[in-house]
Amino acid sequence: MSDAAHIKQRIEAAIPGSHAEVEDYTGGGDHFRATVTATAFQGLSRIEQHRLVYGVLGADIGGAIHALALKTQTPSKTP
Amino acid sequence: MSSQPDPLPMISSEPEPVPVPSDEPNPIREAIAQAIEEHRVILFMKGTPDAPACGFSARTVAVLQALDAPFAAVDVLPDARIRQELSAISDWPTIPQLFVAGELIGGCDIVVEMYESGELAQALL
Repeated sequence: MSDAAHIKQRIEAAIPGSHAEVEDYTGGGDHFRATVTATAFQGLSRIEQHRLVYGVLGADIGGAIHALALKTQTPSKTP
Repeated sequence: MSSQPDPLPMISSEPEPVPVPSDEPNPIREAIAQAIEEHRVILFMKGTPDAPACGFSARTVAVLQALDAPFAAVDVLPDARIRQELSAISDWPTIPQLFVAGELIGGCDIVVEMYESGELAQALL
């Protein structure tokens, strides 16, 4: 069972100091859009940042979570 | 102080783990690795560039076409093993996946971000 609030909670719990905005953009409970801001992303490539988030959600990606549009950023890049 | 018996050597009664055969031929994985090596720009997607079967794949194709970038495309849908083996190679769980010069550039979100910032045009040069 995945919903936006649960995904947000999992990401924020697993990546220290992170902030996640998660939206269920179809309302169907399986397509999500997430923006994750974390100091832990500093020095990582985009690929590595996304892998970190995918790693938190594990097998749910492609399982309960059919689609996850992902944007990652470090706090310094936040306007 | 009475001396404790040495706990070693341990004799395990657990069954030996069955080794995972890593040297077994894996033609699908080899074909994917070869395709990545042979094509400078290659997109693994759902559907085809003319008929993408997923919005993420469609957006990635659109961005490559907007840059007039020639690319090879592989449809992962006909055989679930293509996707499994690809993700095992790339350590990336989702489709599409864009490779340039043998390196994973990213999925749809990263590719679109790089298109908007001009980095994708640079990477494709």
